Amino acid sequence: MLGMVSRRALYATCALGIAALVQPSAVNAEGQGPSGLKYYKSDTKEFWEHPPPDWFLGDETQEQKGLAPKDGPPTGISGAELQNNLKNIKLPPGFSISVYAEGVLAARQMAWGDKGTLFVGSFGLGNVYAITDQSGKKTVKTILKGLNMPTGLAYHDGALYVIAVDKLIRYDNPEDNLDKMPEGKVVYDDMPSYAAHGWKYIAVDKEGWFFIPFGPPFNIGIPPTSVSQIRRVNPKNGLAEIWALGVRNSVGGDVDPRSGRYWFTENARDWISDDLPSDKLNMISKIGEHFGYPYCHQGDLPDDKFAMGHKCSEFTPPVLNLGAHVAPLGMKFYTGDQFPAEYKNNIFIAEHGSWNRHNYQGARVMRVIADPDGKNAKQEEFASGWLKGPQDFYGRPDDIIVAKDGSILVSDDWAGAIYQISYKKQ
Amino acid sequence: MHKTDGRAQPGHYVLCFQSWALPMNAAWRLPCSVAAGALCCGLGTAALAQNDDAKAKFEPCVACHNADGISTTENIPSLAGQTDRYVQWQLVYFRSGTRKSEIMNPIAEPLSNEDIRDLGTYVAKLPAAAPVAPSHADLVEKGRALAAQNRCSACHGEKLQGNGAAARLSGQREDYLLKALKDFKAGKRVGGGMAAMADVVYPLSPDDLPALAAYAASAR
Repeated sequence: MLGMVSRRALYATCALGIAALVQPSAVNAEGQGPSGLKYYKSDTKEFWEHPPPDWFLGDETQEQKGLAPKDGPPTGISGAELQNNLKNIKLPPGFSISVYAEGVLAARQMAWGDKGTLFVGSFGLGNVYAITDQSGKKTVKTILKGLNMPTGLAYHDGALYVIAVDKLIRYDNPEDNLDKMPEGKVVYDDMPSYAAHGWKYIAVDKEGWFFIPFGPPFNIGIPPTSVSQIRRVNPKNGLAEIWALGVRNSVGGDVDPRSGRYWFTENARDWISDDLPSDKLNMISKIGEHFGYPYCHQGDLPDDKFAMGHKCSEFTPPVLNLGAHVAPLGMKFYTGDQFPAEYKNNIFIAEHGSWNRHNYQGARVMRVIADPDGKNAKQEEFASGWLKGPQDFYGRPDDIIVAKDGSILVSDDWAGAIYQISYKKQ
Repeated sequence: MHKTDGRAQPGHYVLCFQSWALPMNAAWRLPCSVAAGALCCGLGTAALAQNDDAKAKFEPCVACHNADGISTTENIPSLAGQTDRYVQWQLVYFRSGTRKSEIMNPIAEPLSNEDIRDLGTYVAKLPAAAPVAPSHADLVEKGRALAAQNRCSACHGEKLQGNGAAARLSGQREDYLLKALKDFKAGKRVGGGMAAMADVVYPLSPDDLPALAAYAASAR
C-alpha cells in the first residue's frame, strides 16, 4: 500500500463511493471520504475480485494488535486425543456425546441424503465428503475436491447442491455415485467471487427455495448494494429474491417448522471491544426487512461512525443477542423425538468461538428457546468444553443437523470431526 | 504411509524409504539437481545412523531443503524452525492439490495425516536460520514501513518469527520470500484457509515486493 497517502488524497471524493474521480490504474478501491468515513469504491471489477483485506485486518486498535484468525491443526484431531477431548464436554443430565466420524478435515455444513448418506462441506480445503454407515461402521469418502470454499450444501429432490462462494452447483443422484460423482451443473452464479465473508450456507424452505447469505467483503463499511443481504433462490430456475438487508456475516440459518419463517445467525462487526457488540439470532417476518448493519448493532448500539444519523428503531431488532465474539454459525430447529419433549422446536446453535477477543468465548452448542413470533427468547449452554485456555481450542463446533433417530450431529472444523449427541432417559 | 508406535523398529527405515522411491525418481529430483549431492550424503550417513522415524520421513526432503532444513538453493524455502502448523497446512494443501507445485504435489500425495504431523513437528524443532543480513539498507527500510502499513506482524508475529499457521519469515531466503509474494499477487497461491495473503498482497505494487522480502528475511 505504498503511496496510499497520495492515493487517499486523490480518492477523497465522496463518502458513499458514488462519484468517481480516480485513475483507472488504482488497484485498491478504498479511501477516505470528506466525512472521515472509510469507503469502498465498488464500481470497479477490481473491487469485486480483490476487495481490501480489512475484513480481518486494519480496523483493530493498538490493544487488539496481534489478534488474528486461527487455523486449527491441519490434519484434525483423531483417535485417543479426540476421545480424550470429549471427556471434557459438559452436557445436561441424560445427554452423552461420542465421535460419529473423524478425519473429516475442515468439516462445515452437513446434509442428509435420502439413503442415509451424510454430506459434509469444508472450508479452504475445497473438499466435499460423504459419510456412509454400514451397521455402525462409518466410512468417510472425499467425493469432490478443488472447490472454492464449499462450506454450504443441501440435499434436495434427489440432488446434492454445493455452494462454493460464487457458484451454486447441482450434482444429480449423488448417493449412487459416491465413487465417481457426476459432473456438477451450475444452477445459480449471480454472486461475487471474493473470499472474504464469501463462504456460505444453505437452508431449504418448504417450497424448495434456498435461503443464502451474502456477506460484505469487509469488517464494516457501506456495503455495495448487492451484498449484506439474504437472498431466496429457486435452484430449479435460478430465480432470486432479496429477503433481508443490513446483514453482516451470516453462515447459518433454518426454516422454523412452526411458521415457515427463516431464522438466521449473524456475526457482528469486529474491533469495537471484547464485549461489544453482541452477535445475533434474527428472524425474517416479512420480505425485505433491514437488520441494521452497518448502522446499528445488537439492536441498540448505533455505530459510532457508520450510523450516519440512523436510529436503531429503524431496523428489525434481533430475536436474541447471543454474546460478543461467540461466532454463531450453523443452527437447526430440533425436530426429533429422542430428546425430552421440551426440546421440540428449540434451536441448537453451533458457536465457532472467538478469534479477536482477548479471552475467547463460544466454541460450544447453545440451546435457544423462543416463541414462533420470536418473543420470550432465552438461551442456555447445551454442550461446552471446547475452549482451551484464553486463546486456543480443543474444537470449534460450526454446524448442527438432526439425525433420523432424534440425536443431533455437530460438525467441528478444528478437529475435523463429527460428533453425535444423544439422550437416554435416566 | 505406515503405522508406528513412535519407537524405532528393525526394518522400519527400509519400509519408509521404499514408499518414497517413486516420487524421488520421478518428479522432484530433476529440478533439484544442484542439491542432489545432499541427497546421497543424507542417505548415506545421517539418516541411516539415526534410526529415527520423523527423521526418516524427512529424508526425501533433504535433496532440496538440506538436512539441516536450511536451503542453499534459489527459490527453495528453508524449513528449519518453521512453525509446525504452517508446515502441516502446506503439506495438506499440496496433498489436496489446493496449492499447486509440480514437485511438491506428487511428494505430498501419499502422505498420511500422521506423516504430515511428524514432518511438521520435526522441522519446527530444527534450529532456524539466523535473520538474513540486510544487503540493501534502503530496501530494508522501505520494507519495514510497508510491513507496518500492511500489519504483517498481526499474524506473523512481532519479529516475523511465525505464529501458528502463519509462517516464520525471519531468516527465510529472500529470493523465496519474493517468489512467494509474487505467487500470492498473481493468484497462484491463496494462502491460508481464508485467502488472507492473496488479499493482502494484491494491492501492493510490484516494486514493493522486493522491499518486503528484504525486510522480512532480515527481521529480528
